[in-house]
Amino acid sequence: MINSKFITYLVVAVFILFLTGCGPAMTTKGAEFPKMYEQQPRSILILPPMNESTDAEAKDYYMTTTEMPFALMGYYTFPTEMVSDIMKQEGVYDTETLYNMPLDKFYDYFGADTVLFTRIKKWDLSYMVLAAKLTIQIEAKIMSTKTSEELWTYVGTVVVDLSGGNSGGGIGGLIASAIATAVNSAAADYVQHAHTANRRIISTLPVGPYHEWYMKDQSLKFIDQTPGK
Amino acid sequence: MRKNIIIGFCTAGAIALTMSGCGAQPKPLYTYGNYSENYYNSKKNISPESALELQKSIEFAIENTENTSSGRVAPGMYANLGYIYLKGGKTDKAMESFTKEKSIYPESAHFMDRMIKKIEVAQGEIDD
Repeated sequence: MINSKFITYLVVAVFILFLTGCGPAMTTKGAEFPKMYEQQPRSILILPPMNESTDAEAKDYYMTTTEMPFALMGYYTFPTEMVSDIMKQEGVYDTETLYNMPLDKFYDYFGADTVLFTRIKKWDLSYMVLAAKLTIQIEAKIMSTKTSEELWTYVGTVVVDLSGGNSGGGIGGLIASAIATAVNSAAADYVQHAHTANRRIISTLPVGPYHEWYMKDQSLKFIDQTPGK
Repeated sequence: MRKNIIIGFCTAGAIALTMSGCGAQPKPLYTYGNYSENYYNSKKNISPESALELQKSIEFAIENTENTSSGRVAPGMYANLGYIYLKGGKTDKAMESFTKEKSIYPESAHFMDRMIKKIEVAQGEIDD
């Protein structure tokens, strides 16, 4: 009896160690983004992304992926395409200019509580000898239009191995692998992986007023990205 | 002792079942249909056809709210539709959509009022 109890304790202890010990540092929504809970913004103005990648098309394509997930997190999201058009009509064509505008202007014009800035850091395929790797990296940031403070930020990275997972030896294996690389890279769908990156980013965002967990998700955990921690 | 263990297992089993198996799938907050895909496609293949497909998916999202947990049209959908009408010169329908957006989401009121005012000013200039 004592024996089996001891084993149970041991198993539990090992399990707890496994859960906490060696993984990446974790943090919670409440600890990391307290200003979201203090200011309780209701709306997000999603601006066109800033493209810092080498792919010129990334901006237009990525822009189509952000509206839905942020709305589903319970915020009012302004219609992305329309906002982008309106800004152009107002004479702001350049994302750089848009990203350097005083934040209260977005409140004056749109009545938005916050602005979402997204930067496409990586959107590329890199080829190795017999393999290819697709990388998408997005940095997202929500700024208050009332206090100009940063309320939330996170970086999402998706790396996809497109080499088809072939590890077979011999000439036959090499040829098969090369073919798989060609096929997979042709079919590589950046936007699909951008959606995955968004899901990773957005899981760290405190939910908004239209979500059933509103003001109840402070203890939700995620991987801490704060530099120097 | 043994009895306790059995009860323990039963409880754990019951909890696991409630959490995973039998419950109905939770309803999504909003209906989007193929909005995201068609929005992407309208950027990838810029053509009247892809623009029309996008408009259709916006209309679908507006018309199908019964299987959602909110019962509402997703944010920005009426505004999107209104903007399509506006670009097509259908100003009355545009104003109607902008008003609907505003009534569902008060957060949009400031922006929608600005759009409606723009239309009214433009109409005034035409009438003069």
